[in-house]
Amino acid sequence: MKIAVCVKHAVDETELKVDSGGNPQLKGASTKMSTFDKNAVEEALRLKAAHQGEVVIVTVGTPEAKKTMKEALAMGADRGVLVSADPMAMDTRRTSELLAAALKKGGPYDIILCSEGSSDMYSGLVPPMLGELLGLPYVGYAKMIDVSGQSAKVERALEDSVEVVEALLPLVVSVVSEINEPRYPTLIQIMQAGKKPMEDLTPEALLPGAGPPVPLVKSMKAQAMARKRVVFEGPPEETAKKLVDALAAEGVLPR
Amino acid sequence: MSVKIWAFSESPSVANEVASVASAIAGATAGGFAVVGLDDSGSLLAGEEKLVVRADSPLSASPEAAASALEAAAKEANPDIILVGSTRDGKEIASRLAVKLGRPCASDVFSVTLVDGALQGKRNVFAGKLIAEVSMPLPCIVALKVGTNPALPASTAKATEKTVGALASKTKLVERREKQKGTVDLRGAKLIVSAGRGIKKKEDLVLVSDLATALGGAVGCSRPLSADMGWLPEEHHIGLTGVTVRPDLYLAVGISGQLQHVAGVKDSKVIAAVNTDKSAPIFEASDYGVVGDLYTVLPAMLKEIKERHH
Repeated sequence: MKIAVCVKHAVDETELKVDSGGNPQLKGASTKMSTFDKNAVEEALRLKAAHQGEVVIVTVGTPEAKKTMKEALAMGADRGVLVSADPMAMDTRRTSELLAAALKKGGPYDIILCSEGSSDMYSGLVPPMLGELLGLPYVGYAKMIDVSGQSAKVERALEDSVEVVEALLPLVVSVVSEINEPRYPTLIQIMQAGKKPMEDLTPEALLPGAGPPVPLVKSMKAQAMARKRVVFEGPPEETAKKLVDALAAEGVLPR
Repeated sequence: MSVKIWAFSESPSVANEVASVASAIAGATAGGFAVVGLDDSGSLLAGEEKLVVRADSPLSASPEAAASALEAAAKEANPDIILVGSTRDGKEIASRLAVKLGRPCASDVFSVTLVDGALQGKRNVFAGKLIAEVSMPLPCIVALKVGTNPALPASTAKATEKTVGALASKTKLVERREKQKGTVDLRGAKLIVSAGRGIKKKEDLVLVSDLATALGGAVGCSRPLSADMGWLPEEHHIGLTGVTVRPDLYLAVGISGQLQHVAGVKDSKVIAAVNTDKSAPIFEASDYGVVGDLYTVLPAMLKEIKERHH
């Protein structure tokens, strides 16, 4: 079984600093593999363990994305494909087109895994776009994937229901974080990851003649957190009373 | 400039919410809007102009088939803006339409306005730490953040039907298990008491549920309690990847306040927190906080609230 996992190298939202004017300091910010992508990599490694085969990591990113690639390789993936372009400088459709072209070039894959959304932009549009662009069956928000022979049974976690969907391989699936607990690579795996093959592709080679990318995001500002931040400290009876008084004064307690 | 807008969702109630945004944009541009639904949803939809797309099999069973049917209808009606409710299925339909029709697309957008022939809006990014301004030239597709706008009431206008015949779907829906409705409706709740890792064992959740009951509220939780501990079903999970809520009062109990959690509650009217750790980030995101042990503060709050009702 040949499995591809699409991942994204992202600025770590927990470490992101904002200046006094509310402008994010993205340059030089701490980065990481997009949080939920680890679940997609983990699922690929579990499928490989059960069905043999190969796990290929595919990403669209700047040269720095090699850090995320190495992390996925350290987790146990076999090789990587980097499409050198900045996803922040294009809309999700172009990112999807680049990924789809890279997947076609390196394929055919039996399963293409993504996470439901990236931890930076969290659009959730790329996985279904891949299904559409590749003309493959697509199942989104998987919390369980059961592959048997040439078919898969997938449980989808929707807002008000759980759906069980069947499809034939090859298949594109996006996973939710509940699907598994991602493994941590060992020190030896981390050291060996740098020796695994990594292929470099350019947007020009993948999408010849495509016009310049159009970014969707015009600007980003810090979220105004206009909260009162009143904090009560002291014995529980006192603080409990103060809190209940304050909430009653706000008119948010039932009368 | 007069624009033609579609307000679509696979869920009629969400479509009617999207319709209120469509109505505002149309009103500002002397344009028009149609409320668009699937299958037999016509009578449930709002608006003067309604359109339902149908096929030989129910389109609600397959976002892929729904997108194909909508593509056929969109090629006839040619709407400048297709607004879609940003549900999980809605995002898939919007993505597919964007590829099929060759249009730009953004998801979870709010505060949508039309400026100089471009649709502008906002999205929460970086787990709610930042707000991004997005802009797309027309024609475009926008998946709107749901639960943020009032819904227009269903109308008696007759829906136009567009039937597309047989549509192939590459996936097959074999089972749909509805989550128990009514047991927990966090999205509509006015008051939520939510539990986090400060709760030491499952039995102690009764402290949280007793307080919620006394206040006539619902019980929520942070991700570890549902996903890692399994103490509460997944539909109680509030946060970026769980349910987004906007109650009048959100009371976070023993929740440290990771960005992903706060992203799901930041539209609440009042946020309050009880936590032993004075430096917990939840206090930064709260209006009122108590630094203390939930095991003593919650019973004291319950006593205080019960005394007030006497």
